[in-house]
Amino acid sequence: MKLTIDGKKIEAEGKKSILDVARENDINIPALCDHPILGPFSGCRLCIVEIQGRRGFAPSCSTYAEDGMEVKSDTPQLRKTRKEILGLILTEHPDACLICTEKQSCDEFKSTIRKVGEVTGCVLCSNNGRCDLQDVVEAVQIDKVDFPSVYRDLEVKKNDPFFDRNYNLCILCGRCVRVCHELRGASTVHFVDRGPEAVIGTALDRTLHESGCQFCGACVDVCPTGALTERAVKYEPLPDGTAKILCPLCGMGCELDVMLSNGRMLSAKPAEKGTVNQGQACVKGRFLIKDVVISPRRILQPMIRRRKELEEVSWEEALDFVAQKIKTYKGNEIGFITSPQLSCEDNVVAEKFAQEVVKTRNVGMSTGFTPLDSLWHLEQKNGISPSFHFNKEDIARAKVIFLTGTDLALSHPMLWLEVLKAVRNGARLLVASPFEIAGSRYASSWLPIKPGSEDLLYRCLSKMILKEGEVGGHDLEGYESFRRSLEKLNLSEAAEVTGIDEKSLRRATEMLMRGKPYFIAGMGLTPSSGENKNIASLWNLSLLCKGKLIPLGLENNQRCIFEMQRNNSRKTKLLSQILQAVREGQIKALYTIGPIPLDKKIKTELLIVQDSYLSGIAERADVVLPATTFAETDGTFVNVEGRTQSYSRVIQPIGESKPDWWILSQLAKKRGKKNFAYKKSQDILKEMKKRIPSLKKPSSAHTKRGKQKFVPLRARYHGTKIGKKFPFILSSDYSLDTYRNLVLSSEIKGFEMVRNARWIMINPEDAKTLKLEEGEGIIMESSVGKKKGVAKITEAVPQGTVRASFLWIEGTEEAFNPLPVRIKRGK
Amino acid sequence: MENILKEFERDQKELIHILHRVQEEFGYVSPPAISAIAKHLKISENEIYSVLTFYKAFSLEPRGKHIVTVCMGTACHVRGAPRLVDDASREMGVDVGQTTPDKHFTLETVNCLGCCAIGPVVVVDGKYHSYVKRMDSIIKEYSEGR
Repeated sequence: MKLTIDGKKIEAEGKKSILDVARENDINIPALCDHPILGPFSGCRLCIVEIQGRRGFAPSCSTYAEDGMEVKSDTPQLRKTRKEILGLILTEHPDACLICTEKQSCDEFKSTIRKVGEVTGCVLCSNNGRCDLQDVVEAVQIDKVDFPSVYRDLEVKKNDPFFDRNYNLCILCGRCVRVCHELRGASTVHFVDRGPEAVIGTALDRTLHESGCQFCGACVDVCPTGALTERAVKYEPLPDGTAKILCPLCGMGCELDVMLSNGRMLSAKPAEKGTVNQGQACVKGRFLIKDVVISPRRILQPMIRRRKELEEVSWEEALDFVAQKIKTYKGNEIGFITSPQLSCEDNVVAEKFAQEVVKTRNVGMSTGFTPLDSLWHLEQKNGISPSFHFNKEDIARAKVIFLTGTDLALSHPMLWLEVLKAVRNGARLLVASPFEIAGSRYASSWLPIKPGSEDLLYRCLSKMILKEGEVGGHDLEGYESFRRSLEKLNLSEAAEVTGIDEKSLRRATEMLMRGKPYFIAGMGLTPSSGENKNIASLWNLSLLCKGKLIPLGLENNQRCIFEMQRNNSRKTKLLSQILQAVREGQIKALYTIGPIPLDKKIKTELLIVQDSYLSGIAERADVVLPATTFAETDGTFVNVEGRTQSYSRVIQPIGESKPDWWILSQLAKKRGKKNFAYKKSQDILKEMKKRIPSLKKPSSAHTKRGKQKFVPLRARYHGTKIGKKFPFILSSDYSLDTYRNLVLSSEIKGFEMVRNARWIMINPEDAKTLKLEEGEGIIMESSVGKKKGVAKITEAVPQGTVRASFLWIEGTEEAFNPLPVRIKRGK
Repeated sequence: MENILKEFERDQKELIHILHRVQEEFGYVSPPAISAIAKHLKISENEIYSVLTFYKAFSLEPRGKHIVTVCMGTACHVRGAPRLVDDASREMGVDVGQTTPDKHFTLETVNCLGCCAIGPVVVVDGKYHSYVKRMDSIIKEYSEGR
């Protein structure tokens, strides 16, 4: 289509607003309520234009560009009207500085004074210099406001973590309301009251925290004024530069822009053009990054334990000490543990170090119990050909999504946003979860299953589909035996165990049969022991529905470890196997780069910890080697989709910390190895590509399609037994709320409020029976161990069930899910 | 509350109808009612609160047995409505928008009822009183059982 805007001949395609077309062609039409990531709103009326042949002014943000249109955005009449509209907007926003005649000289000679009680002008506002309203005032060239100004004198809301809300500066553009509803699906804030009383707020004026806010910070990032300001940067100077990093706090790999001032990290913001996140992040990426990197727990210098105390030593001394010590053990007496939170480079070097320098078979790289691992085991054992690769955009296009074993909004927030998009496009969302999760509200059907009965639920659904007839998989190998294995399944008996009646089951079946469902399988499907029957049944169900199974991992670089193990001739061990060997005394020395549980039975003659934080197991170490974090070194992560992304150093290493690969290659050199001569992380690239083939050709490596087949399911289903001794069922909650040895909620106050790793969630009725109060210390005991925590009373958890964060740094390395437990009061 | 919700579909478009029904039944929409509606319609409580505060027809606090509404439209205003409000306020011992402690009266104002010819107008429980000169007689009329 062809149109003209301000005399400029423009060609445009597709359904677009006039405003968008103008922006693409560098024509600036002032707008305040419009934002590229949000739908049109026509609230501020500043983007008005004249369209030839139409009466009045049209808001260009919500008028489609049409063929042959003649648009004028800058006529005297428009300019006058715009000034008037902006004047009205400014009546409720401190405008003294905006229209001040001394503005220019003030900008030049005065810096912003921000530590003030009330913001009554730009020079007192923390948003000075990064304010959309200032830009618009500049563009509209308003020099006086003809209307009386009103200062509403509303109380600044400071009771929530991470950011303050000063609605005296709010212009009611509704961006925060819209981003919270449209994009994040949370609807935490909304317009409250009307007319002159109108304000952005929450139900009954509760805090954001009480209103279901997850603190993703999307509202802060879209706010055009200083009404919403991040506390961490409030009193900081404006950044003098930004640099890109990859967030290592979950498997998504969001790109973040780190704001810098004189080489100092101020804060991080989601990158607007981030491949994975497109300007969005979650609470961890938005607000925690700085506190993770610049933590008081950071180890600044190598340390060696002498006379029971850790003493700071030089790198030379520490490296010599470790190299000497390692030599005194036989290879297999040393256990070596790496972590899926490290970069591909670090892991490749670490594995090579373990094999060639330490010469041990006891190398642990991962816990090995994620759905990703389970599906891989099925591949090895049964010869199925699953595709591990997916594109998150495909999820947004799905017609049916089955979410199981995960609170996706917490574990993989960006995938959840794709699910939300699909739901808004009319997709049916089926959620199987014992708890009310973020997904429950958007689910067409929420199946509140009893924890641990997932396997049985999938079998019931399979049986229902077979009963209905059709859909796929009839000609695949193993179909007959699968069908026969379901013959004995009694649906009404099963309903007793799963807690899902036949009516709900039928509804779910109908949905699944509508077409090609996506099965998103999370860490909640981790088995209590042995092979993962959940994943096996789900695999069969997905074949039957002609759907796609998406197995999730946990850590940011899980996929890298997974690829390395999958393409490895030299087998590595599971973390639990290594730790078992430690407990049994077969391993005498332990070199760990990853966090391991604080178990008193884990005792070795020599404990070398290479980490960034002096917490957890590092506090017991004989030698501590300070490693850099993700912000101080270059590296590569493979995210949950199988997407390879690299990142570079944004700040100088803190203290004397060094990259993990550097430490290991220096040690190798001390032991006389010549093939560890890396000067920078890029030098490892070649070896990395050999060890992780998918880095070379990301998509094809995962889709070598063999014959699909059903997996035989022989074992009869056994439910989790609850006895008098352990009357509750614990179902673990998996989201990566740690970085290396740092437990985020115990170090960062704000995050503790949002998601405390110590919470043990319990139903109000159960709490009443046990006489528990909110926040009270409780002890949870099971047959395998105990965990201390604090009570979090919530209706989201059904009676008889408790939900707690799976944090194996504090517990055992095995995942037991579900697990019968008992609860008692105590600290 | 559960019985009321049963009357309605689980569809967002029912929100205002539900709120009206709750208002009619209980005289106000309580916080527990908001959360019950939120669960029923699968929307957030904040969205419901936004709708609640938009319309004057809904109240967030319990209201009295009798609702006394004084019209403050231009015509009623010039004919002495502000004095009527003052009188009512004094008689009842509450400000505009408040309810007497014994939950007998709620005093409200409205910005025009569209029947300016018979002003000043006072409406009590939906019954219109025209050419009102004094409030005490009206209040007395409805004070039975107080």
